[in-house]
Amino acid sequence: MVRVIARLLPGPSLMFAAGLIAKGYAEVGDGFAAGVIVALAVALAYVALGAAGAEAALPALRHAPKAAVGGLLLALASGFFPLLLGDPPVTHRPGPGEHVTTIGTLELFTPLLFDLGVFLLVIGVLTVLLHHLARSREEAAR
Amino acid sequence: MLLSTALLVPWVTGVLLVALDGRRRVIAWLGVGSLAATLVLLAVLAAQVFTGGARRVRTGDWPEGVGITLRADALAVAFALLSVLVLLAAAVHEASGGARSRTFPGLVVLLAAGLTGLFVTGDVFSFYVFFELAMTASYALSAYGGKRRQLRAALVFAAVNLLGSFIFLLSVAGVYRVTGTLSMDQVAGRMLDVNPNAALLIATGFFIAFCVKLGLFPFHFWLPTVYAGARPAVAAILSGAVANIGAYGLLRFGAGLFPEQLRHAGIALVVLGAASIVYGGVLAVARGDTAEMLAYSAIGQVGYVLVAVGVGGPVALTTAVLYSVVNALNKALLFLASGLRGTLVAGAFAVGALSVAGVPPAMGFVGKLELFRTGVAAGSAALVVLLVVGSALSLVYLFQVYQRRFWRADPASGGVVSPLPQRLVTAALALLVLAAGLWPEPLIALSGHAVDMLLAVGPG
Repeated sequence: MVRVIARLLPGPSLMFAAGLIAKGYAEVGDGFAAGVIVALAVALAYVALGAAGAEAALPALRHAPKAAVGGLLLALASGFFPLLLGDPPVTHRPGPGEHVTTIGTLELFTPLLFDLGVFLLVIGVLTVLLHHLARSREEAAR
Repeated sequence: MLLSTALLVPWVTGVLLVALDGRRRVIAWLGVGSLAATLVLLAVLAAQVFTGGARRVRTGDWPEGVGITLRADALAVAFALLSVLVLLAAAVHEASGGARSRTFPGLVVLLAAGLTGLFVTGDVFSFYVFFELAMTASYALSAYGGKRRQLRAALVFAAVNLLGSFIFLLSVAGVYRVTGTLSMDQVAGRMLDVNPNAALLIATGFFIAFCVKLGLFPFHFWLPTVYAGARPAVAAILSGAVANIGAYGLLRFGAGLFPEQLRHAGIALVVLGAASIVYGGVLAVARGDTAEMLAYSAIGQVGYVLVAVGVGGPVALTTAVLYSVVNALNKALLFLASGLRGTLVAGAFAVGALSVAGVPPAMGFVGKLELFRTGVAAGSAALVVLLVVGSALSLVYLFQVYQRRFWRADPASGGVVSPLPQRLVTAALALLVLAAGLWPEPLIALSGHAVDMLLAVGPG
């Protein structure tokens, strides 16, 4: 039962995380919280299936280090890109008071990239940690 | 613009390098290159600051108190330059010897990003954030080498310094509670109207946090294990770059934000500093192992900085800045040289030893001279006697070790000479120490300028 849920849970958790990021600018929620929620689902998979089992069931987990580095770079880029335009860092586009394109409640502006970056970073780092913790136990058991 | 770029370069390259395999030569030298680029950017920034005054950037053009202020004044760029220089020396040292772990180059560059960030930020909370970035990188670095001894050092280092960071964070929360702002300029202004007891409590919290970083006397207990256990390059990084956080923090928070509290606690700081000097000196004489001796010597040397901060006033604070620079370079030189063998190394070590003892023409002499001036200006005979005793002790312990290491044939590592590039790095550092001793005016001017700016900003 736990194994089945562990295999299925990351899917819905991603949806939930997407919701948190989308409503994050008007209500409670942000990239960090979204990342932690997905990482919890991933943690359940590692606990229930072991490192090898979890990574066989969810091959995307093997790309965790890339997600962490890519996420951090994305977050840095969203903070520092205004330098190229001659603005101080962390200026966002479109600026305050300007028109923002929205899809439902999702607002398309550059801080969204920052939240996506943090989201990827949190998932990536926690998955790498889980991988190392789970693997060292499996090695000890062998 | 330049300020933000100087922060961005080590941050991005550090992140990229952490992902790559640092054991490969190319990657290690890329790390060196990125540090060198950061150093050049900081040097240009420093030149701008000295000719045109402090640079400020407010993130996102938000009003003060909402946006984070980055502020490069003379004190900030001086410490940033110093730290990145030490990191560069340590990185070249490891790159030419062959780095032993995947992450070493990346972590050193990230440490440079964290240090640069915390020196140039004008916001108490983002100071904490950069502080944690730097400390996290140094926790990982202190385990570098991966042997039992290094892991033990890393555990002690991480445990004690996490406690220090926690106290720091509590004080940041306290500042926000009593002043309602985190921007350093506003805090300095509003601190005057705060209940004196609350202000003193917060100032003490910051003081303890920075003393833990520096390894001053009652908070020094972690330091010998860590410096002696870590590899020489890492010990050089910790004592020459990471410890600068403590000295900078005492100056920026003590003289900049809490001048009133600093004046009241002046005597206590001088007593603690004196205890550090004597304790570190006496125990260093009693140690046989080079690294352990240098660790106790570090405890003694930072005591001088605390004494100078405790005395207060422009002359003494200038001395504190100057002595922090001198001490960081001395310690980096000695720790790097202590792990090597060969002809140039003995000379470099001797220069470092003379500099710590305060013998001309090394730059340590300039530091000691300024300390004497501080003592005379403060009109304190006890302080002058203390300085003489401290210098005499350092001369004794350093030459004890010098004899043991370089004059006696060592059967354990007999005859194996270290690679030439590593020896050249220590020789270059030694030349820098000598040059700054022979031509100290720029350094003195820089320290004086830094303190003038610091006191001008504070609510003098």
